[in-house]
Amino acid sequence: MHNAIDHLLTSANEIILGKDHKIRLAVCCLLARGHLLIEDIPGVGKTTLAHTLAKLLGLHYQRIQFTSDLLPADILGASVFDSANNTFKFHPGPVFNQMVLADEVNRATPKAQSALLEAMEEQQVTVEGKTYPLPSPFFVIATQNPSHQIGTFPLPESQLDRFLMRIELGYPDQAAERALLAGQSRQQLLESLTVQLPPPQLHAIQQAVTDIHVSPALLDYCQALINFTRTSPEYPCGLSPRGGLALLRAAKAWALMHRRDAVLPEDIQAVLAAVAGHRLRAGSSHSEAIVAPLLEKVGIH
Amino acid sequence: MIANLDKNVLVFLLASIALIVFPHIYHIPINIFAYFYLLIGWRFVGVWRPHWLPNRWLVFLLTVIGIGLVYLQHQGIFGRDSGTRLFVVALGLKLMEIKTERDLYLVTFLAFVVAASQFLYTQSLVMAAYILLVCCTLIATLVCINSRQPQPWDALKTAATIVVQALPIAIVAFILFPRMEAPRWMLLNDRQQARMGLSDMMEPGSISDLGQSTELAFRVQFIGPMPPPAQRYWRGPVLSKTDGKRWQPSPHQGFAQFMDKPVFTGKPYQYTLLMEPQNKNWVFALDMPAEFTQPLARNVTYQLITSANPDKRSEYKITSYPQYNTGYITRIEYADAIQLPAPPSPEINGLVTQLHGFDSPPEVFIKALLAHFHNEDFHYTLTPPIMDDKPIETFLLKTRYGFCSHYASAFVYLMRTAHIPARVVTGYQGGEFNKAGNFLEVHQYDAHAWTEVWLEGKGWVRVDPTAAVAPERIEQNINIDALAQDAVIQFASDADTKQASAWLKHARELLGNVDYNWQRWVINYNSNNQAKFLANLGVDNLKAMIYWMLGLTAFITAVLSFILLYQRPKTTDQALRHYQQFCRKLAKYGLIRQPGEGETAFAERVKVALPQAGEAVGQITHIFVGLRYGRVARSEDLQRLAQQVREFRVEEIK
Repeated sequence: MHNAIDHLLTSANEIILGKDHKIRLAVCCLLARGHLLIEDIPGVGKTTLAHTLAKLLGLHYQRIQFTSDLLPADILGASVFDSANNTFKFHPGPVFNQMVLADEVNRATPKAQSALLEAMEEQQVTVEGKTYPLPSPFFVIATQNPSHQIGTFPLPESQLDRFLMRIELGYPDQAAERALLAGQSRQQLLESLTVQLPPPQLHAIQQAVTDIHVSPALLDYCQALINFTRTSPEYPCGLSPRGGLALLRAAKAWALMHRRDAVLPEDIQAVLAAVAGHRLRAGSSHSEAIVAPLLEKVGIH
Repeated sequence: MIANLDKNVLVFLLASIALIVFPHIYHIPINIFAYFYLLIGWRFVGVWRPHWLPNRWLVFLLTVIGIGLVYLQHQGIFGRDSGTRLFVVALGLKLMEIKTERDLYLVTFLAFVVAASQFLYTQSLVMAAYILLVCCTLIATLVCINSRQPQPWDALKTAATIVVQALPIAIVAFILFPRMEAPRWMLLNDRQQARMGLSDMMEPGSISDLGQSTELAFRVQFIGPMPPPAQRYWRGPVLSKTDGKRWQPSPHQGFAQFMDKPVFTGKPYQYTLLMEPQNKNWVFALDMPAEFTQPLARNVTYQLITSANPDKRSEYKITSYPQYNTGYITRIEYADAIQLPAPPSPEINGLVTQLHGFDSPPEVFIKALLAHFHNEDFHYTLTPPIMDDKPIETFLLKTRYGFCSHYASAFVYLMRTAHIPARVVTGYQGGEFNKAGNFLEVHQYDAHAWTEVWLEGKGWVRVDPTAAVAPERIEQNINIDALAQDAVIQFASDADTKQASAWLKHARELLGNVDYNWQRWVINYNSNNQAKFLANLGVDNLKAMIYWMLGLTAFITAVLSFILLYQRPKTTDQALRHYQQFCRKLAKYGLIRQPGEGETAFAERVKVALPQAGEAVGQITHIFVGLRYGRVARSEDLQRLAQQVREFRVEEIK
């Protein structure tokens, strides 16, 4: 099981260079059954990362490019009249896939955004009074341009909360950039990828994540963190209970990835920026900067 | 700006201020009191409706009204009373313009001054406790202002801790801080305050006002045995001049050099007397005082007079002898003690003749007269019928209802009719014994009047005619106050009621004892007492005193700081305790774990800095992490952790 994860990470690292920690976080998010939001400027490999993960996991993959004229039906699907049978037939939209890449999600209107986000939360789609379950596993990777760019509708807070993690990829470092420029085309490399973690195995790992032990001492630390966000003037709004649950879930997955059977404070700290950064909305857009006071001021004993 | 202030903080502040000012209800006139509480009520409403608060002009108008109220009351704004009132009014007005955080601090500090002003009026233990509690709430207000999310209960707890920590320093400062006696002008005008007590003039019925007052007059603590109740006469002013109705002290003074020296015999009684504040400079010593110290002096009527400010509680050490002989009588004394306003009426002369007043020795006549009071139909009552014209005659021959002053004045009148020198002595008789504190409490209702007769070879001899009518008043010290006012007092055995109220009585005694010690050791702790007390401890000059004070304060501060700084997080987790010990060992090498640093992250850091200890650090961290975060915590792991931490050393790199 652990070997499979390691292989997955190694393969992914061959495609996306120099982003080991970010890839780990993305995989961790996946193992914790959460959706991932990648926020960065265009061209740093957001789509490639989503592509890579879909390939390595052997998931049905569909990309939805969000634009300002995108309608909910374009995402969810629509009923079309079938003249042969004289009935309406539901044509499922791109959301009916195991892995959906919602590219540039903040370019669409709020109406279209909410169609996707509601599907994410409920794992099902209701069209014209009929409910259609989404496939399992269901994993959404949304990419987002920084909201200061022109033509964006920033995601409302309630919908940001639906994403377990938000990560920023950032520019590659000098060595990675060099390797990228000198190496093969990413497109070709992607084609050559093989499935490392097929869905049944993924499901088993996701199940194992829930069994990771959480001690009272760790819960104390977790609560201290949550409390700090609620009482400190640095944060306009503290972590919600859903945020707290998300933090613990991600930390469990992180612990599992590091071959532990119990969560350590370090696991919490490792995922804290990605899990809490977009929920705290503390002015700065850099998750690490947002959670720095938490890591510094909240004692673990 | 107002929106920035936390509502909780404001409510807390206003409530504390309302509490602080409340005891002033006894000291400031009702209109100023009402004015203040109107303002505070207005401000309370303003917490939720800020736009209802007065604007600048209205505040100005309110200020004029407030100062006008104070000025009308006092025709000025100086002095204790008007000063306090002005302060209260100003505090109320300042509440109206709380706009920024700075104003909150200002108002809080003003409230502390108002709290202190309570002590200008009352220094009782209860008031001190109340002020201490209210100061807790004020400090809690400050805590609230400075906390992120004010939690009233937590703030109160913090404030109480601060007060408790401050107490030892307060005690040291109280004992050792140099006492400065307030200059005279600072006493201001509080002498005007009416106080209960004996006056130097007696009319029939005048003492009965006191008879119903339960106010404390003084307390006495005996060193050694106490005199029996029948000998507890506390001597006050001696009245010898009369116009037949009213009795006054003799106007003659300055013949002390001609007086005989009193001879004291028998057993002396030593005691400490703590006088409550009073208007007169009298000290009521046990009859008769023989030894006493400054600032006491004995006047020609053997009464003790103090030259200290009587308006303060003061303590005196006195020795008295119940048996004494004052020797011969001076001519002035004789003239005073025989004076009658007019020749006695034939009825009085008849009474004296009937009791063989003119033809037998004085001792026989006294006995006969006392027997007359006892056997005839005389009654003791605190509410005698009104006797307007010739009170003594009416009392002796007609009404025969009266209390101590009636009996004393009638007795002296009859003595003087028979040409025996006699005079009235006023003072207190008896006193209630406080078992808890082992002292006597003498109340205003113990006020009494008795007589003195000069006898050849014996000097002035005390005779108490009231004892002939109501011996229980003297011997059992029955609290007349507690008995029915308008009835003839029967002095029935009240053993039953005593039994029932024994518990209550005990509680009252205990309270009285606490108050006595409070007055004695805290309120009365002036520069003299301080010097005496410290001399006992070997601190005898100002310099030593200040050194001691600074030293002790520094010591207490150091102890408190040590406790606060080195307070380890309370934990029952043994493993964590071992781990903390491990961290302390590493701290010696400059490796200090940050509070938010995870154990394994710290271990990695240590391994880099101290590679030679890497293995041990790794093991200890591994065991600890397993114990703290793992699924099962085994006790052998805990033992291993304890042992490894104990054995953990960092070898020096050679």
